[in-house]
Amino acid sequence: MSVELKLSRSNRIYRPSEPLEGKIIVKTSSSISHYGIRVAVKGSVNLQVRGGSGGVIESLYGVLKPIHIVKRTVEIKPSGKIGSGTTEVPFSLILRKPDENLERFYETFHGANISIQYLVTVDIARGYLHKSLSTTMEFIVETDRADLLQGPLPPEMVIFYITQDTQRHPLLPELKSGGFRVTGKVSTQRSLSDPISGELTVEASAIPIQSIDIHLLRVESILMGEKIVTETSLIQTTQIADGDVCRNLTLPIYVILPRLLTCPTILAGPFSIEFKVAIVISFQSELSKSQKKSDPRTPRLWLAMETLPLELVRTK
Amino acid sequence: MVDASMEFRPRNYSAERQSHVLPRVRADVHPFSDPSLPVTQVDVVDHGNEDFFDPLRGTNDDEKATPSDHGVMCEADPPTKEWTSFSRLLKQRFPVSKMVSISLMPDVIIRSGKLHEKSSTSMHLEELDDPQKFADEGVRLITWQEYVSRLHELKDDINRSWLADDRITSLKLSIKVAKLLMDTSVLQFYPTLFVLVTDIMDMLGDLVWQRIKQKAEFAEDGTLICNLPDNFKASDVCSEAKETCNNWFCKIGAVRELLPRIYLELAILPCWRFLLDQPADNLQRLVMMIRGLADPVACAYCHLYMAHCAQKLPWHDIGYLITCVNDIRVILMLNLSTNQSTHGSVTGNKRLLVSLVEPSIEYIMKCIFKGLPEMQVSDVLVELGLRKNQQIVGSVPCVSVVLHHLLKELPIEVVSSNALEILHLIECSNDNSFDQHMNYRILGFRLYETGSPVDIINSVLDKVIQVIAQYDGLDEYLKVVEAYIDLVLQNQMESLLNTILEVISERAWNKGVTEDELPSLQSLLVKLLSHFKCLEDLFTLNHFSEILDAMYGNSRNAVFMHILSMATRTDHIRDPTTIQFLFEISQTLHDNMEFMHVKDDDSQVARLICRFVHKVDYGAEMERQLEFLVDCRGAFGRLNELKETLVHLSNCLAIQALKYAKKHPSFIKTCITFSEVTTPSISTPSRQLDLFLETAEVAFLGGLVSHSDGLLDSAISCLQSIDIRNGFRTPTDVEGLVSSVRKLCGFLVMIPGNSSLQATYLPSNLFTLSSSYSWMEPKMRTQIFSAIILLLATLSQNNLPYHANAEIPGNDKLYYGDSSYKQELVSLSKLVLDNLVDVIQKEPSQVARGTLALEACNCIASAFTSSNEILSACVTLIETAKSCLSVRDKYLQATIQFVDKQLQTSGGSVCVG
Repeated sequence: MSVELKLSRSNRIYRPSEPLEGKIIVKTSSSISHYGIRVAVKGSVNLQVRGGSGGVIESLYGVLKPIHIVKRTVEIKPSGKIGSGTTEVPFSLILRKPDENLERFYETFHGANISIQYLVTVDIARGYLHKSLSTTMEFIVETDRADLLQGPLPPEMVIFYITQDTQRHPLLPELKSGGFRVTGKVSTQRSLSDPISGELTVEASAIPIQSIDIHLLRVESILMGEKIVTETSLIQTTQIADGDVCRNLTLPIYVILPRLLTCPTILAGPFSIEFKVAIVISFQSELSKSQKKSDPRTPRLWLAMETLPLELVRTK
Repeated sequence: MVDASMEFRPRNYSAERQSHVLPRVRADVHPFSDPSLPVTQVDVVDHGNEDFFDPLRGTNDDEKATPSDHGVMCEADPPTKEWTSFSRLLKQRFPVSKMVSISLMPDVIIRSGKLHEKSSTSMHLEELDDPQKFADEGVRLITWQEYVSRLHELKDDINRSWLADDRITSLKLSIKVAKLLMDTSVLQFYPTLFVLVTDIMDMLGDLVWQRIKQKAEFAEDGTLICNLPDNFKASDVCSEAKETCNNWFCKIGAVRELLPRIYLELAILPCWRFLLDQPADNLQRLVMMIRGLADPVACAYCHLYMAHCAQKLPWHDIGYLITCVNDIRVILMLNLSTNQSTHGSVTGNKRLLVSLVEPSIEYIMKCIFKGLPEMQVSDVLVELGLRKNQQIVGSVPCVSVVLHHLLKELPIEVVSSNALEILHLIECSNDNSFDQHMNYRILGFRLYETGSPVDIINSVLDKVIQVIAQYDGLDEYLKVVEAYIDLVLQNQMESLLNTILEVISERAWNKGVTEDELPSLQSLLVKLLSHFKCLEDLFTLNHFSEILDAMYGNSRNAVFMHILSMATRTDHIRDPTTIQFLFEISQTLHDNMEFMHVKDDDSQVARLICRFVHKVDYGAEMERQLEFLVDCRGAFGRLNELKETLVHLSNCLAIQALKYAKKHPSFIKTCITFSEVTTPSISTPSRQLDLFLETAEVAFLGGLVSHSDGLLDSAISCLQSIDIRNGFRTPTDVEGLVSSVRKLCGFLVMIPGNSSLQATYLPSNLFTLSSSYSWMEPKMRTQIFSAIILLLATLSQNNLPYHANAEIPGNDKLYYGDSSYKQELVSLSKLVLDNLVDVIQKEPSQVARGTLALEACNCIASAFTSSNEILSACVTLIETAKSCLSVRDKYLQATIQFVDKQLQTSGGSVCVG
C-alpha cells in the first residue's frame, strides 16, 4: 500500500498564477475505504539564525517563526473506496487566488539561514483504526511572467581593478613590494537564466599566480527584533585561471548560476536575500600550501580579492 | 625371336607427322604486333584515371564532398576516423615507459572499490566542488598498465551507471577522469593520458547527445513527438529536452576547476544545438577560457581537444582556431624565453615541451586549412599576424614550430607565389622551438610540389645555399639540400649541383659521416640516381664517387642496390670500367648480406646481381666472358640462384662458340667443364638434374659424347639425392621432376650406346633408380616407367625420329639389324611393364589410379604390337580404370577405342559391356 505524487511538469516549476496539476497514484493489493483524499499546498519562508552574529539572542530565538506564503487544503475526493491495483487520481489546485493576498510568492530558494520552500502533500484519511496514507513533495515556484521586468536587462558592467593598494588586508611582503595589477569588468545585474559574464586581464604580477577564482556569495539578512542579523556564505566557486597565466591576455568570466541556490534578489521587511560576486586571486606561496583547508573567503596574506554586489532578477 | 609374345610396334615417323600435321598458312600480321593496340591502351588508362580513387592521394576530395549542412551524427564519421588514427599516432609518438611515477596520485586511480558506495549515497553538487583529496604527497609508483586498466575500468563504470539510469554517478566519474589531465608532472605520459581521457569524454558526450535527442523525439511514455532532421533547429526541440540539456550545462558549469569544466563542456559541445541555432558561438568563449590554463602542455592539448570537438558541429568558423594558434604561440614564446622557469633552463626540457605541443599545432593547422577557399588564405595569414598590406611580413617573428606546420598546410599556390617572403619569414623565425633548417627544408619540398617559376626558384636557391653554407654540420646541410636537390636537378643547374656535391664531399671527408647523416645522404644520392639516365652520366659528376666512398653500412648498400638496378636497366653492359665498378659493388653487397635478417632485401640483392651478371657482355671476347663467369662464381658463392645463372650463361657461351667461332673444341670443353663443376654446388638436386641435362645437351651438340655420357650419369644420379622429405612436396615440384625425367628420356633417344657398356645402360640405370626409391610416389613412378617404355620403343625403330647431327651416329645406325640389341630392349621393357602394372595398383587415390591406368594403357598400346601378354596387361589396366572411374568418363572411352584400334582386338575382349 503506497501513495505517490506525480506533478505534471518534470522540472516541477510552477508560477503562482498557474494551477498546480498532477496525479495521485495509489497502489494497493486490496481495496481500501477512506474518508476523503485531500491535497494541501504550503509555502513558507523559514528563517533561522546560527553562527556568531546571532550571539546571545541566538540561544533565545534559534529558529524564528516562519512566514507563511500560502496554506491551502482541497478535498479532491470525498470518502469512498479505492479498488485494488494502481489507481490514479488527477488533481488541479490554484496556487494564488486573485482575491486573497496573504504574502508575496517569493521564488524557491535554499540558503544557509533562509529557505523558501513550497510543498504539496497528499493525505488519504482512513479513520482512527488505520494510519492515513500521505506523501509530500517539493515543487518550485518562479515569478509570474506578468510580474517580470519587460525587455532585456541593460548590460550593466562594473569595471574593477585589483592591485596591492586596493587590498584592505595584509599581504605578503613580496607581494606588497612586487606589486600586481589585475583589471576587468563584470556584470552586476544579471538575469537568473544567464551566466555572469565579464572579463579579466592580468596586467602584471611580480609573484606567479596560483589560481584566480570567482566566488558567488549569498548575503542573507534577518530582522530579529531591533537587530538585523546578516550572514554571507559561499554558494559556488568557479576557477577561471589555473596557474600563472599569460599577462595581458583577456580571460572570460562565465559563471552559470546554480538553480535553487539562487533566486531574485529580495529586499523584504523581515528578511532580505542578496548576492555578491568576488574575484579572488591566489598567489603562489609556501604559506598557502601549509593551510590548505581554509574558508576561501578569509583574507589571507597570499590572496587578493574584490567583492562586488550582484543583483539577480528573473526575466522572461 | 626368343620371346615372340612381345614386340615393339614399328613406326614410320615421317608418315605419321605428315598425317597429323596441321595445314600452315602464312599470316600477314604478327598476332602480338597490333599497331592499334597501344593507342587504345593509352585511352583506357586515361579514362580509368578519372574515376580511379587513389587512397594515397589525401582526402581532399572527401572534404569537398562533405556538405556543411549535414547532421552531426552522419558527419561525425569521417572526422572520428581521422581522430582515431591521429590519437593512435599520438600514442606511438610518445611511448610510455613501464612505470609511471605520479607525484599526486588522484584517488580516482587508487581507490577503485570505494567509489561506488560513496557516489550513491550523497548526490549534492557541492561534493563536486570538494578539492581533490590527494592520498598523500609522496611519489607513488604505478605501472603504466595498471593506470590504463584503471581508466578502462572507469570507462566501463561510467557506461554502466549510465545504463542503470544513474547519470549523476556517470557525470561525477567523468569529472574525476577529466581532472586527471590537470596533472602534467609526467610530461611523457601526458599524450597517452590525453588519448585515454578524451576517449571517455567522447563517450560521455555521445551518451548525453543520445539522451537529449531521445527526449526531443519521444515523450516519456515512448510515443513519438517528432523526428529530428539532421539539420534541426533549436526551435524544433521540445522544452522538456531543452530543460534536460540546460541541466547538463548547469551541472558542468558548477565544476570548480577550470580544466575539467572546459573538457566536459567540449565533450557535450554538440548539445548546444538543442538550445541555440549558432552553437559555434560558444567556441570563441571556450577558446578564451582555455587561456586560463597556464601550463603550456595542458593548454595545448585542451586546444587540440577543442579542435576535435568542434568538428562535430555542423558548421563552424575557423576564427577560434586562429585564436588557438595565436594563443599557443604566445604561450610558447613565453615559455621559451623565460629562463627562470621552474623546470630550470635545461634546453632538453624545452625540446620535450615543444615536441609535446607540436601535435596539437599540427592538428589545428590541418583543421584551419582543410577545405579553406583560397580567397580566405590571406585573411588567415593576416589573422595570424604574418601578413599586412598584402605582403607577408617577415619582420614579425613567428615561433618556428608554428611556422613549420603552417608551411606544411599552406596551399601550394600560396607557397609558390610568396616563396621569397616565406624565406624571409623563416630567416626571422629562429628560436629554439624548432630547428630552422627544417623550415628551409619544408619550403624546398613544398616548392618542388608546385613547379614554381624558374626565376623564383633561382632566387630562393641562391638564398638558401648561401644560408646553409654557414652551417657547421653536415647533417643540417644535407637535410636542406635533400629537399632542394629535386629543384636543382629539375632546372638543370649543373654548377649549383657541383657546388653542393663539393661541399658534401669536403665535409664528409673532413669530419666523416655519422649514422644520423647517412639516411639524408642516401636519399640525396638516390634522387641523383633516379634523375640520371645512365651510370656514365653519374660518373661525370664531380665528387660523386668520393661521396659514395664516404658512405658505409646499410645506407651504402641501399645506394649500391639503386646503382645496380639502374645499371642493369640497359640491355648490355660492355664498358670494362663499369663492369669492374659494378662487380665491386656487387661483391660488397654480397659480402654484407645478412642471411639472418631482412630476407626481402637479400633476395633483392641476389636478383640484382643475377641481372647484372646477365647483362655483362664482352661481345666477341668469349674467353673474357668465361673468365668473368669464373670470377663471379668465386665472388658470389653464397648466391644459389646466381650459380644456376652462371651454368646457363656458360652453356650459352658454349653454344655461341659453336655457332660463330666454328669448332673451338677446347673452349667449348672449358665451358662445359665450368658448368659441370659448378652444378654440384647448387643446393637443390632437382635443379641440378635440369642443369646437368642442359649441359649434357650442349656437350652432345658440341660433339663431346663422352662428356655428355658422364653428365647424363650425374643427372640420373641426382635422383638419388632428391629426398621427398626435404620440402619436396608441392605438386609443381613433382610435375617438374617428372617432366625433367621425360626430357631426359627424349634426349636419350639420340645418345649412341657406349660399346664398353650395355646398350641399355642409361635407361636401365634410370629404371633401377626410380624403382628403388621409397620416396617416389606411385604416380611419379608410373609416369617415369611409361616414359622409359616409350623410350625403349623408340630405340627399337629402324629409323630414329631425330638425330643430333650427321657426325654422331644414332643407335639405329650403330645397332642396325643387331638382334641382341632388340632383345635387350624387349627384356628391359618387359621388366618395366610388369613393374608398371603393379605400381599403379599402389596409388591410394581412386581417381588418380584410374587416370594413371589409362595413361599407362595408352602408352603400352602405342609402344607394342598386339600379343597376349600386351593384351592381358591392357585388359588389367582398363579393368582397373573401370573400377575407379565412371563408365562415361571420356578418357576411358577414348582409351578403349584407341586400344581396340591399335591392338585389333574384337570389341568384346577389352571392352566388357
